[in-house]
Amino acid sequence: MHGGDEQHETAIEPGFDFISPRFEEPKFPMHQVWGYAASLVLTFAALWMTVNRIMSPSVLLGVVLAMAVGQAALQLGVFMHVRESRGPAWHLVPLGLAFAIGIGLVGMSAWIMLFKSGVS
Amino acid sequence: MPALPSFVPYLIHTLFPPWVRRPTEIGAEIMMTAAGAFIVYWLLKNKKLQWLWNEWLTTVDHKKIGIMYLVAAIIMLGRGGLDALMLRTNLAMPTLHFINASEYNEVFTTHGTIMVFFMAMPLIFALFNVVVPLQIGSRDVAFPRLNAISFWLFAFAAALFNLSFVVGGSPNAGWTAYPPLTELAFNHTVGENYYFVSLLMTGIGTTITGINFLVTILRMRAPGMTFMKMPLFTWATLNTSVLILFAFPPLTIALLESLLDRVAGTTFFGLAHGGMPMMYVNLFWLFGHPEVYILVLPAFGVFSEVVSTFSRKKLFGYPSMVLSMTAIMVLAYGTWVHHFFTMGAGPAVNVFFGLSTMLIAIPTGVKVFNWILTMWGGRLTFTTPMLYFLAMIPTFVIGGATGVMLGAVPADYQFHNSYFLVAHFHEVLIGGTVFGLLAGVYYWWPKMFGYKLNDHQGKWSFWLFAGGFWPTFIPQYWLGLEGMTRRMYTYPFGMGWHTLNVISTIGGLIMGAGFLVMVSNVLRSRLHREVDATGDPWDGRTLEWSIPSPAPEYNFAVIPTVDERDWWWEEKQRRQSGEKPAGPRPEDIRAIAIPKNTPVPILLGAAFFVGAFGLVFTWWPIALMGLAGVFGVLIYSWFQYDHYRILSAGEIRETEELLGRLGA
Ligand code: HEM
Ligand SMILES: [Cu+2]
Repeated sequence: MHGGDEQHETAIEPGFDFISPRFEEPKFPMHQVWGYAASLVLTFAALWMTVNRIMSPSVLLGVVLAMAVGQAALQLGVFMHVRESRGPAWHLVPLGLAFAIGIGLVGMSAWIMLFKSGVS
Repeated sequence: MPALPSFVPYLIHTLFPPWVRRPTEIGAEIMMTAAGAFIVYWLLKNKKLQWLWNEWLTTVDHKKIGIMYLVAAIIMLGRGGLDALMLRTNLAMPTLHFINASEYNEVFTTHGTIMVFFMAMPLIFALFNVVVPLQIGSRDVAFPRLNAISFWLFAFAAALFNLSFVVGGSPNAGWTAYPPLTELAFNHTVGENYYFVSLLMTGIGTTITGINFLVTILRMRAPGMTFMKMPLFTWATLNTSVLILFAFPPLTIALLESLLDRVAGTTFFGLAHGGMPMMYVNLFWLFGHPEVYILVLPAFGVFSEVVSTFSRKKLFGYPSMVLSMTAIMVLAYGTWVHHFFTMGAGPAVNVFFGLSTMLIAIPTGVKVFNWILTMWGGRLTFTTPMLYFLAMIPTFVIGGATGVMLGAVPADYQFHNSYFLVAHFHEVLIGGTVFGLLAGVYYWWPKMFGYKLNDHQGKWSFWLFAGGFWPTFIPQYWLGLEGMTRRMYTYPFGMGWHTLNVISTIGGLIMGAGFLVMVSNVLRSRLHREVDATGDPWDGRTLEWSIPSPAPEYNFAVIPTVDERDWWWEEKQRRQSGEKPAGPRPEDIRAIAIPKNTPVPILLGAAFFVGAFGLVFTWWPIALMGLAGVFGVLIYSWFQYDHYRILSAGEIRETEELLGRLGA
């Protein structure tokens, strides 16, 4: 099932070449080793910074959030092979939508929880 | 006599504290032990253990998994219904205190949780499993083994949750489990641990099921079945799967953090150290509102199939049906604050979510009109599933209208947490979800088992269940307006609530009778079964009716090419006119790879169960044993290489021949 014979020759419109087929099969998964190491570093760095409170809480929150987003991108790229596909990578489109929904839900939750009334 | 080792009294005290040594609990214990012993005895006596293991417990066949979900869901409906009747008995006789305040808390908690997570969800998955692969012309789901894992995680989670009643104590903070009531400081028993752990477990299974059916529908449709040719139950499954995918993560987080608060000393939701109890509420309903659409969209799918089959007409307005269902799916993510308007988030937030709530009524209305117009000018037959459909229309319309009333923010300050709400959600959950799922069970029963349920008894059960529904829940709207709040175990006589409560309880008993007639119908229809050789007893329209009942393990000897929306309906015409052969032609049949049975799913479920039990009692060694078990099973499964066995073309031809299916 591997290899090029399965490839569907679909013409991709210019401007949509981010979904054009690409497929990698390296001998040794060096990418993944690096990805794993980087994920561990990002996780333990966040934990260490939080436990030792090296910055003010609001700055720390921002930094940890940024590291989390970075790690999510890293894992999607390295372990989920997000850009690879034998045919056009249509999954990138719903994935983008999923991110939009996710960010929307988080944003709305933040908005909701900003309430200032006496109830808690 | 030598003294008992000291851990024995400790064990007895922890596992069987005084609140599980009340008459109801002891009764349940005796009954459960007796039933278990009887089943084991029967299996041993008839030498059925091997059969049970080979045919059912290790199966990865979606049709059998569907049937196991169905059995579990019906048992859970019985337990949830018994809980409901205990609650109703208390409210009809408020001075007798048939059960006391803390028991009442436990019983409404287990009732709500079981009905939503261990009755409605598995019943939905039963239909997904039984119907979807057949309806899209596929040989199985995308990941058969994961499908079995989903089932066993659910089954062991349900067992764990029900165990709480007799070992350690039931949860008691409502099906929503809000903090601070669930925090350790206010709630010492292990009950809430059971709640969090078992819902986490079944949540993993549910998420996997969502992914599985999403992939199945996207990738495994028969050739020619474009999106706009998919049957509506398949559309409903697709939308439900997307809802599951996005709704369960917030629930998982909320449950996990609550559990950590209880067993690891964190304060995510406790009031101390800046915990945010309202964040739990936000997360819970971020899941909870999509969840109500997870519960109702499959029912919409069933109704669409049922109304078109029994009107012998194409569904009216198919594209608008698809569009409205998808619109509901998207809008379902934008309304969750209507469950906590009274938190006081301020007018901007409340108005936004009030409006989005009302907006969702529009696509729902579109669906109701389309169903009615499908019947218009059709040739109707009033079978049991069709009756459930007809009964749904008025209940769902009233339930939907009161839902819009609850969405009106200022009015909600009055309705919130009153019996008005209890009436509303039962009206949509029973009138929508349960009627729909029961219609689906009656409708697809012949596909699952090869014979119909008796229609006469089905109608008896229908009239009792749907007839009892109105006196049970309509009076509760008035009770709510008169100020009776939910989750109260008693009330003073002078409030003027007694008559309406008695009516409601009588209605509940009638519904209970309806359930019993349904169970007896299942048993009697099996004893006196009239085998249906056609595979198409309702003169159906979609692919699943084109194959024998019950479907052979490979489903389709030859996968059909779909060219029409109601393919089977058109195909029948073509076959009658001799334009097409009457069945698959022998020369078209090829060998088929069938996934092999495997013990991995049930063992994985059991390992999870052990670990979860350890977590409930915070006995870490046992929890670690469970974890080790999970890894052990996974490692064992890595070294299983051949997952498939080959069914040769000859064998398939023989089976089809025996079933009288081969075309010339
Ligand atoms: C057989 C008919 C049923 C009857 C007579 C019934 C009765 C009740 C009663 C008396 C309560 C407690 C009200 C209170 O004290 O606040 C309740 C709560 C509830 N019921 Fe039902 N019920 C039935 C079926 C169902 C079904 C089919 C579902 C879901 C699919 C369901 C879901 C719930 C939920 C979620 C709660 C809220 C529990 C809580 O407050 O935490 N019920 N029901
Ligand atoms: Cu809602």
